[in-house]
Amino acid sequence: MNILICIKQVPDMESKFKINAEKNWYDRTDLAWRMNEYDEYAVEQAVRLKEQVGDADLTVLCIGGDQVKETMKKALAMGCDRGVHIADNDAYKREPIEIASMIAGFAKDKNFDIIFTGMQSQDRGSAQVGVMLAELLAIAAVTTIVSFAFDNGTISVKRELEGGTKALVSATMPVVLTCQLGLNTPRYPTLPNIMKAKKKELLTIAPDVGSSAISQETAAFYFPEKKSGGLVLEGELPDLAEKLIHLLKEKTGVLA
Amino acid sequence: MKTLLVAEFREGKLREKYSQLIAFAKGLQTETSMFLVGSPTDLPQFSGTLFLADVAKYGEYNPTVHKQLLLDVIAKEQPEMIVFHHSSYGWDLAPRIAVALKAAQISEVIAIEDGVPVIPVCNAKLRRKITSKTAQTVLTLQAGAFGMEEDPTGTPTVIQIDTGVTGKVQCSGYEAAKLEGVDLTKSEIIVSAGRGVGKPENIAIVQALAKALGGDYGASRPVVDAGWVDHDRQVGTTGRTVTPKLYVACGISGAIQHLAGMKKSDFIVAINTDKDAPIGEVADVFVVADLKQFLPILTEKLLAR
Amino acid sequence: MEFTREIYWNIGHGFTTLAPMYGLLLVALAFFVYGCLKRIKVYRIGQPLDRTDHRGERIKNLLNNVFLQTKVFRVPGSGTAHSMFFWSFFILFIGTTLIVAQADFTDLLFNVKFLKGTFYKLFSVILDLAGLFAILMLGGLLVRRYLIRPEGLITKSDDALMHGLLMAILITGFLIEGARMAVTELGTPLATWSPVGLVMAQILNGLGEAGLRTLHTGLWWFHLLLALVFIAVIPYTKFRHIITTSANSFLADLGPTGKLTSVNLEDETTERFGASALTDLRWKDIFDADACTLCKRCQDRCPAFATGKPLSPMQVVNQIGETAFNNPDANLIDIIGRDAIWACTTCRACQDICPASIEHVSKIVEMRRNLVLMEGEFPGEEVMTAMEQTEVNGNPLGMGYASRGDWAETLGIKSLAEDSEVDVLYFVGCYASFDKRNITVAKSFIALCQAAGVKVGILGKEEKCCGEPMRKMGNEYLYQTLAIEIIETIKGYGVKKIVTTCPHCFNTLAKDYQDFDFAIEVVPHAVFLDQLISSGKLRIKTDTFSCTYHDSCYLGRHNNIYDAPRNLIRAAGGQLSEMAKNRDQAFCCSAGGGRIMAEENIGERINIKRVQMAVATGAEQLLANCPFCLTMFEDGVKGADVEEQLRPKDIAEILAERLEKL
Repeated sequence: MNILICIKQVPDMESKFKINAEKNWYDRTDLAWRMNEYDEYAVEQAVRLKEQVGDADLTVLCIGGDQVKETMKKALAMGCDRGVHIADNDAYKREPIEIASMIAGFAKDKNFDIIFTGMQSQDRGSAQVGVMLAELLAIAAVTTIVSFAFDNGTISVKRELEGGTKALVSATMPVVLTCQLGLNTPRYPTLPNIMKAKKKELLTIAPDVGSSAISQETAAFYFPEKKSGGLVLEGELPDLAEKLIHLLKEKTGVLA
Repeated sequence: MKTLLVAEFREGKLREKYSQLIAFAKGLQTETSMFLVGSPTDLPQFSGTLFLADVAKYGEYNPTVHKQLLLDVIAKEQPEMIVFHHSSYGWDLAPRIAVALKAAQISEVIAIEDGVPVIPVCNAKLRRKITSKTAQTVLTLQAGAFGMEEDPTGTPTVIQIDTGVTGKVQCSGYEAAKLEGVDLTKSEIIVSAGRGVGKPENIAIVQALAKALGGDYGASRPVVDAGWVDHDRQVGTTGRTVTPKLYVACGISGAIQHLAGMKKSDFIVAINTDKDAPIGEVADVFVVADLKQFLPILTEKLLAR
Repeated sequence: MEFTREIYWNIGHGFTTLAPMYGLLLVALAFFVYGCLKRIKVYRIGQPLDRTDHRGERIKNLLNNVFLQTKVFRVPGSGTAHSMFFWSFFILFIGTTLIVAQADFTDLLFNVKFLKGTFYKLFSVILDLAGLFAILMLGGLLVRRYLIRPEGLITKSDDALMHGLLMAILITGFLIEGARMAVTELGTPLATWSPVGLVMAQILNGLGEAGLRTLHTGLWWFHLLLALVFIAVIPYTKFRHIITTSANSFLADLGPTGKLTSVNLEDETTERFGASALTDLRWKDIFDADACTLCKRCQDRCPAFATGKPLSPMQVVNQIGETAFNNPDANLIDIIGRDAIWACTTCRACQDICPASIEHVSKIVEMRRNLVLMEGEFPGEEVMTAMEQTEVNGNPLGMGYASRGDWAETLGIKSLAEDSEVDVLYFVGCYASFDKRNITVAKSFIALCQAAGVKVGILGKEEKCCGEPMRKMGNEYLYQTLAIEIIETIKGYGVKKIVTTCPHCFNTLAKDYQDFDFAIEVVPHAVFLDQLISSGKLRIKTDTFSCTYHDSCYLGRHNNIYDAPRNLIRAAGGQLSEMAKNRDQAFCCSAGGGRIMAEENIGERINIKRVQMAVATGAEQLLANCPFCLTMFEDGVKGADVEEQLRPKDIAEILAERLEKL
């Protein structure tokens, strides 16, 4: 079985974000970097599948500058067999279709049976790349999976829907699966595997976005007005309750 | 300008939140039609054209087929904007349409400012405005961001649509959300009790608020230590690290271990008598009140809505 | 008359006595040697370890702990009785040796007798009293074990054998003496020099000489046989502790106290890390099990055991022993149990009190290393998250690393990157950098330094967690990654002296980092401030308040710093009411050993128990010297519902409140 796992390196969301000089993305200084959380579930599921079927080859793919190799090493330490690094210092500017095209360009003649990736990235959060990749490869895609089972060539997954309901979906290979948090418990790499990962193949290739054209542009990039910066409500209790309910309606989706 | 709204149908029912799409379209004042793979007996209250494919025939989740049905409508209608919910249905289908149309897709739109969509970036820490460079644009809207049409009215003009395409995946049914046990890491709404509740009997008022909000209740370590609430409900780095959409901290002063375990919540409400409590650092709204008096009033008002 | 006695009286000193006597001795010795060799073979299953360096110090330890019974004597009651028994029995042993030496060597070969005259009188009375003392002490221990039965004391068949055999040897000894004296010494001045023997002689006198002689012969051989059985069974019973526990005093870890052994991560041929099998342990870890006497001192002081967790340091040591001797291929972690392994706070109470120089903590950490490094297992997901957060942001709390120095922004303190010309580097630690409560401690410390004219610098966003909690949880890899980075940073600035407000940072920087060629002076804030006050650089108003003081495990037991913090408390006007468990007997706060990152979900909460001990003193403030302790106590006073009665504070805060404004 031939499996591709697409991962992304993202800043830790606790980082102190600053806006870059071009005013189209965040500045890279003072950021701590990590594997996109959703992708960790993708890697874990791929490794578990390999443990289940035995005969599987796991390629982990990541796009970005040289520093993404650090994140790739974690995936290799978790159990991926080889890495493909699409070297692209401009990756942060790429829109989802470009990213999907780069991956599709690499994957199109590799006959991957399953492609695992996160349902979205923590920074850009478009939730587009996985599905677009499937479309470009003309294969099936199931998004937001929270459960995965493989039996005799058939893949059974559960999709997480709003309100905690799950849809039971089955698919055949080839397929792209985008992983939701909670799909599994990503493992902590063991030390022997960290050591082994240092010696695994990590191929760097040049970026190629194919024929995808620019479809969108960042018009502005900014900090939101301090959400309410600790809006303090004081006064008569019934009024406070009314105000709070109003705020919850306005600022959150939970009372809708 | 023409806008095509994509409504959703699940578990044999039209999803009510289509009214959010209508509210969004109203704000833009465009010519609006709607697409739905649904049932002719459960139509949205919407005065406009509804392109309706029969769910009995095409299934509730069948992306390849739904994509084709939708593409056929788009080909005919030529809308400039195709609008989805940013939902499990929307984010699954929208990119398929964007690829087919070679159109820009802008995900999780929270506002339109001067005609330009605004989306959150990095856990909503940053905002990004995106201009589309393509003739058609695919949007997905963040739940609740555009409010909802309070009382949608009207009857749609239904145009029946069909396709011969078959699907690549099979959806065989649903599994209801589990009720037994609690996993706060998956909760969307958490109401937590801190030492400010005073005594174990008062946990009930926190539970009542959680119930009224449709969420789960949790607690800070001292409350769990005191044995008033079970271990599996402890929020904090030594308990569960949670990221709900709404976190209500009741009488929690905010020890570092608690803060680190809940500060990634989308929206944080703190209810505390001490205005200087560290919880204020992460709270979006700080209600200065005694929770023992305030919570019952809030709960009552929520239930009365 | 000559003050002496005939050795071998009534037994004879010919071939018919000596041949069977020495023959039996050889048999006993053969049993003894065979038993020892069998056990040594098992010790050798373990990994090699050299414990023969620093011989002078080791021999001193040996003499101290065996002949002076230093460690045994520390615990009143059972410890006192054991020491007294040992000394008495040892005197009897010397006495017997002198008798044998004269009868079978000096007298036999050279006709030299030294057991005579005044020396014999003293010899006789000392031995007599030693025998009496031994019986009394052994009796006391017997009553304790079989009648009082202290909680947690494990009594096995070994114990019955040991008590019975020793008692029989002592009593038969007096009976033999009594029988002999009844015939030979009654009514002579010599008899008064054997008071116990005299009493026995008077009791036995009625038997008449023939009866006495028969009784004497029988008992003599019986007594000999018991003594030889004693020698023979040493390796097969808990009597082996006479050798193993003594040897362990020589073999003990010489420190630095609490410094763990670094795993060589450079060696790419290593495929196993930590310990899950017996063969992963060092031979000393198996030997430790044989040195253990089940005295349960460790268990009595273990905060995990005391709060209902499935950890007993004594059990861990003995489970290793049982595995080694009965089931050597078994998985140690399964036998000991994960919950027990994770429950340890590395407070060192066990190791500190252990009279047998057993190293409990390193064994537990080795097993944790196996779980973490080989299996990727943690006590809970929250700990794994903390590890990952440390990898990403350099702190287990998951706070953005770039804001690490934010707390100092308004204090006029610069990072070394901005100005590296400083008197001391303040290594802040994660809690004092990010936690609002502990930031006040950091700020207090800075205020005190500034008042004393000390120029302090911090590393700011270049500082990372020292790696202590991760290391103690078994994550040696993450620890070493952090350590190497920090050392490079600190060395890069040419720092001369480092001060910490966290004893975990202190112990790690000062000791564990030595393995990475790090030798910069590190001082805990309590000591540093004490020096500032005693040198007159820092002046504090004395303003009376009532308090109790908690000796953190890492300042106290790990570093023997007990007085400096108390000096500070006195200087500030603190009326110190000590908790019952103080100084080297202090009870843990629950957060050591990386437990600060873990949920405490078994048994009672350790921190609440400690807070209750503090409440019992009636003091208004609970003073700490450690951010982990302070965090636990802040939670603890809420959990124990004593927020109004007891205020936890760091010593630096107390001092800063009393700073003399110039």
